Amino acid sequence: MSPNRFEEIEIGQVIEGRPMEITRETIREFAEASLDFNPLHLDSDYMSKQEFGKTKFNEVIAHGMTNFALITRMMTDWLWPHGGIHRRLETRWLKPVYSGDRVTPKAVVSKKIKTEKGQWVLFNIEVRNQKDILVSSGEATAEFPVSKLFPQ
Amino acid sequence: MEDLNLKKIEKDFWKNWEKRKTWDEIQPGELRPTIPVFLTKAMIQKYARAIGDLNPLYFDEGYAKKSIFGGLIAPPSIHVMLMFACTPDDDWMREPGTINAGQSWFYNLPARPGDRIRLVCKALDRFIKKERLFVIHENVFYNQNDEVICSGRGWTIRPR
Repeated sequence: MSPNRFEEIEIGQVIEGRPMEITRETIREFAEASLDFNPLHLDSDYMSKQEFGKTKFNEVIAHGMTNFALITRMMTDWLWPHGGIHRRLETRWLKPVYSGDRVTPKAVVSKKIKTEKGQWVLFNIEVRNQKDILVSSGEATAEFPVSKLFPQ
Repeated sequence: MEDLNLKKIEKDFWKNWEKRKTWDEIQPGELRPTIPVFLTKAMIQKYARAIGDLNPLYFDEGYAKKSIFGGLIAPPSIHVMLMFACTPDDDWMREPGTINAGQSWFYNLPARPGDRIRLVCKALDRFIKKERLFVIHENVFYNQNDEVICSGRGWTIRPR
């Protein structure tokens, strides 16, 4: 792991994640890999008829957890070379993601905190689609360990 | 303990539909039945590929061995798959139409290939908001040494 770069990190610093193009195939692949075969994600016929309270999606939607996984991918891609560990992620899903959408996660450093035994960085998280509509928002926490975390 | 046979996983979530607990029947505080799972390298890598994450810590043993992790690990969000791997077909999380409203997870130790993963989970609360039926559920994944891998809370909207 790279040296701990906690001191270099600045409030307001932006981390851009890699985008993902969502298709019926990526949704199917995520279902197979995550074992979540809910018809929400796979059955167009069901989704064209089913109402969810006052909401009707009309078409299959991507797993919310795809966004979650894209955020963790962004965090680990950035954190490990900076000597940080992804410790926490909280997200809310605001809008559905459909086949044909392109989703991109982003993190902005909001706070740096030192505790008795650790160094922590807090991030505001968002995922936007190709129309710049916010589809998911949340907060993440990373630890920049001051001692060895995973003894072997 | 049996390895999870992915070929035997039930992909039709309508099966056992009538056996699953509805919002009215879910008892907050009551443990959900779970099944321990042997986490394989193949399961980890299939999951990582599906999210376009080809980090060598999940694929390259030589690279991972030299890292602080000392060997191959799984991506933090592997709990997404483990949630379904560790629960039976009639678990209410599989109910068709279950909408995921939010999640919060804390990561303690990485899951690794060869780990025997155990899930302890339960509903914590249920409530009605804007005519929607919500359940809050708590989940903790442990490895074979009873160390916590990660713990999390989810908010789902129940279809009935």
